Amino acid sequence: MKQSRRCGQVLLVVIVCGVIVCGLTALAADKEHGTLVRDAALYVTPGSTSEKIGRVERGRDLIVLEHIELAATAAEQTSVAEKAPWFKVFVTLPQGTAVREMTGWLPALGVVTFSTPNGDRIIYGEAVDSENQAEQRGGRKGAADDAMRLYYRVGDLFPNSPLAAEATWRSADIRWQLEKNQIRSRPSQRDLSPDARGHVDEQWMKEIIKRYPHTRWADLAAYDMIDNRLCGEWKGLAACPEKESDIYERYAREHAQSPKAAEALYYAAWRQAVLADIYRINSDGTRSALARKKARALAQEIASMPTDGDWQPRAAVLIFKLERNIPLYGPGPE
Amino acid sequence: MTTLKHRTHPGLLTALLLVAAAAFAAGPEKEHATPIRETNLSASPDANAEKLMPLERGRDLIVLDRSTPAGGQAWLKVAVPPVASGDKTGRPSTDTQKQKEEMTGWVPATVAVAASTMNADLIIYGEAVNSENEAEQRRGRRSAAEDALRLYQRVAEFFPTSSVGGEALWRHADIRWQLDRARSKGPADEQLLQAVIKKYPGTKWADLAAFDLLDNKMCPAWNGLAECPQKESLAYEQYAREHPQSSKFAEALYNAAWRQAVIADIFRGNAQRASSTAAHDRALALAQEVTSQLSPDWKTRAGDLIYKLQQNIPVYGVQQ
Repeated sequence: MKQSRRCGQVLLVVIVCGVIVCGLTALAADKEHGTLVRDAALYVTPGSTSEKIGRVERGRDLIVLEHIELAATAAEQTSVAEKAPWFKVFVTLPQGTAVREMTGWLPALGVVTFSTPNGDRIIYGEAVDSENQAEQRGGRKGAADDAMRLYYRVGDLFPNSPLAAEATWRSADIRWQLEKNQIRSRPSQRDLSPDARGHVDEQWMKEIIKRYPHTRWADLAAYDMIDNRLCGEWKGLAACPEKESDIYERYAREHAQSPKAAEALYYAAWRQAVLADIYRINSDGTRSALARKKARALAQEIASMPTDGDWQPRAAVLIFKLERNIPLYGPGPE
Repeated sequence: MTTLKHRTHPGLLTALLLVAAAAFAAGPEKEHATPIRETNLSASPDANAEKLMPLERGRDLIVLDRSTPAGGQAWLKVAVPPVASGDKTGRPSTDTQKQKEEMTGWVPATVAVAASTMNADLIIYGEAVNSENEAEQRRGRRSAAEDALRLYQRVAEFFPTSSVGGEALWRHADIRWQLDRARSKGPADEQLLQAVIKKYPGTKWADLAAFDLLDNKMCPAWNGLAECPQKESLAYEQYAREHPQSSKFAEALYNAAWRQAVIADIFRGNAQRASSTAAHDRALALAQEVTSQLSPDWKTRAGDLIYKLQQNIPVYGVQQ
């Protein structure tokens, strides 16, 4: 009896909480979402003279709660931002390792919402701009993260845009490269096997494959995910290059239309050539000959592929080295 | 009846004989080769022979003789010309720098690709790509960029009419350009890029070389003045007008538009409203032109610029 009353109370709390969450979600869903294409300060009240409570970077998700037109004073007329309306927004900002949900005001300048004409192109263009900044030597700090968020927002705010798939893929790829660099920069990670080493989170790549199956984006996502299965160091043993060659070859067979198919086949061939050297050093003539034969066959396959770019000349030099027994792995010059 | 007489001028005959004799004395043109792997120049065709000097990938070798000792590996006797002081091949190694005269010695035939080797153009080009790729890796081989530089140069020299000849010369010039720019603050040497334009006029490589050359027209800093971005904007627009087929067309036009937007901000900051409006309108017109291009990245970047111009969001200076 007592237990059943407790159950009833718990049920009531769950229902009330559910109603509140649903209400908030519905409220958020009703509200207009947007993002920034330039950094902006978040203020307690509308107007740049009020107290700043945070900084919102490009690409953060904003929920626009309220609009206001400021009655601009003569002095304020000089500021472009002051002439524009102000938005009350709800935003989630990172603080150290935690996140903080904040509500505040920012100038509407630079806010792009799903009702902005050509909003998808504007955000995508700013993402390309940020990605470009990230690649410059003296580029803006945090530009890669900006690009990652902005690309994500294109797919998030404009799922039906023709740019959505490419943007979502680019966002996932930037995230992947950043995380991979972080993991690989740890010296302790290099010696570990792929199973023991830290993995890049596959969630975003799997999402691409699920959302855009059998497209070039799914092919590219599957290719990135190979990174998680590669060894850090081979240590002169055949096991790793053997496994990696199989992985690359399987990718090339399963994704024949992928822009990465020739590259994958080249890496499969190159690893077979390395295996031939490893087996030769270990005086295992039979296996060495088999690996050499396999390397040649794979490299020759690239020559017959309809591919532009550098993979065919790279395959040609690999075949040449195999024919002349020039080692690819091990000691340098004779 | 008309008799046709074949008459030969005695002076001409003498001249022809002299030319033939000179050609015979010079012998047939020597074959060139290049190593696709780091190796050594040896005093004799023997793996244990004295090493005269190291040979990097892409060094020019003139084949003088071939030798295959019984049961051993094949060797090439080669002459290695010194790297001339004005050579743009790349930073030579210390040993190479010491080489003042042509050296003669032996190299293992396995690592040298002769011009007569089947698919030699693709093989040397492929090794150049490998080296370029190495140079881009964080832990890539030291001096890989210089290797790529030399290997691309060899493709362009040995096989100027190959399908990869133009691309190789362009890549050679571009790597040299990027290395020069990274190493010195002054204007980079234009010689190699000008050679690409001269040798392959009206091609994509000439367009790309001309785009690289714009770097020399850029100011090191604008210092908040309109003069430099104005000059740069004109340089980019002129490039776009003169190279409408270039793969850099949209980029050049976008760069011209973006600089006009910057100029609008600079003039606005100086309270020069009329000049600011003129630059603003010019930026808009140029950016609109980019949006009609096929390249999605430049198209969307232009769209973003147009939005900022329409909203009067500053693109230059201190942001709020």
